Amino acid sequence: MTERLRLTDAVIRYGDITAVDGVSLTAEAGGMVFITGSNGSGKSTLTKGIAGLLPLSSGSLVRTARMSYVPQYEEADRDFPARAGEIVLTGTQRPGKLFHTRRDREQALSAMEALKIDGLADKEIRTLSGGQLRRVFLARAICGNPELLLLDEPCAGLDAQSHSTLFGILRGLLEGGCAVVMVTHDISDIDGIPEGRIIRMSHGKISHSITHGEHGHE
Amino acid sequence: MNEILDIITYPFAYRALIAGSLISVCASVLGVILVLKHYSLIGHGLSEIGFASLSLSSALDIQPVYIASPAVIAASFVIMYVSRKYKTAGDTAIAIASSAALALGIVVSSVSGKTSGMSSYLFGSVLAVSEGDLVLSVILAVIVIAAFVLLYNRLFIITYSEDYAKTLGINTAMYQLVVSVLTALVVVMGMRITGTLLISGVIILPAVSAKIVAHGFRSLVIISGAISFLAFISGLTVSFVFNIPAGAGVILSNVIILILVKVLAKS
Repeated sequence: MTERLRLTDAVIRYGDITAVDGVSLTAEAGGMVFITGSNGSGKSTLTKGIAGLLPLSSGSLVRTARMSYVPQYEEADRDFPARAGEIVLTGTQRPGKLFHTRRDREQALSAMEALKIDGLADKEIRTLSGGQLRRVFLARAICGNPELLLLDEPCAGLDAQSHSTLFGILRGLLEGGCAVVMVTHDISDIDGIPEGRIIRMSHGKISHSITHGEHGHE
Repeated sequence: MNEILDIITYPFAYRALIAGSLISVCASVLGVILVLKHYSLIGHGLSEIGFASLSLSSALDIQPVYIASPAVIAASFVIMYVSRKYKTAGDTAIAIASSAALALGIVVSSVSGKTSGMSSYLFGSVLAVSEGDLVLSVILAVIVIAAFVLLYNRLFIITYSEDYAKTLGINTAMYQLVVSVLTALVVVMGMRITGTLLISGVIILPAVSAKIVAHGFRSLVIISGAISFLAFISGLTVSFVFNIPAGAGVILSNVIILILVKVLAKS
């Protein structure tokens, strides 16, 4: 299997505080990794480290360049004057490519259709509900055809139908060879995914690492 | 009306009209990015650093542009870097830098005894616009408009979510540098006309007004530029008619437009 992500002995510090302490993990093409743990366990910091938004204090990170990241909904600027379609289209931007192509627009529309938000393309994001905006971010992430998808609490604010739609899309991405790393504080979020590895974090370290199916016996 | 038409036949007046309009439009479109990224105070900080630079260049008998341009560009880069790296410390950094620069400018002017031009630095003067300034403002306008046309998608994504742009591998620091340098040049050029105390209003106010009515980033940029142009022309006209400093006229026009837009939007 092709590795999309290899993190080795990663340490991330905020000043004197060590938020991630010696974490190693891999994600292979078609593989799913869940990162769970209580608030403050370091799971979101770890995701930002993988995304390249926080530097590693030590350790190493090797990952595919075609990565998409879905941040937590709370990090969004709701007051920004932009339409949903414009936000989704940004997911097709790449270094060295200044202009959007017709194919980019088709991919953005296709991603919005997959998430059933194509009717919202011309809506300003300040008029969207939390769940709709969450789906806009998901569409932005998948329209770039990622090889590695990082999701930070993607199920927060989603209703049951949107949850089901999301996992349908994730299954399709996994079958297409994308690796998915998903942070969730709610272990029930993983229902609907056939298999995957669950990593539980505590105090910045991995306390458990099991495969999906065993979590009921954890 | 005839009086106004007579006035703009004077070379100083048409220079101020053309250069001021171009700089105002440039300031307002850059202001969109600064307002949306919550960097509204940067223009204020840079203008006071510009004031210190102008005082120093006057004391040393050096062309102001040789000291002010590099000093303000360097300051803009430092302020934006600090604002991005230490998000809550950005406003504090600007407040410290701007008050220190203003104090330094006053000290330099007092010690050198060259305080006669201080009023012009602080409140601006349409007489200060030379043929050279006119040429520079045209070049600056071409660069700013070209940057917005060519880099529109990049400016959109780094303004909305710099972090997301980084995850796509986009060199956000480079685009931030472009915005910093252009903002600094607009401040240096603009403070000759509006004064160091008021140039930040020319940058911020049109974007704030436009944000009330715009329905997207592109329309926000266009409306902000249009409002700024309108405010500059009306402000300059008022300043000619009532013999008040141009900067004050332009800022008051911007404030009136902001109030009107707010009222009309509510109704």
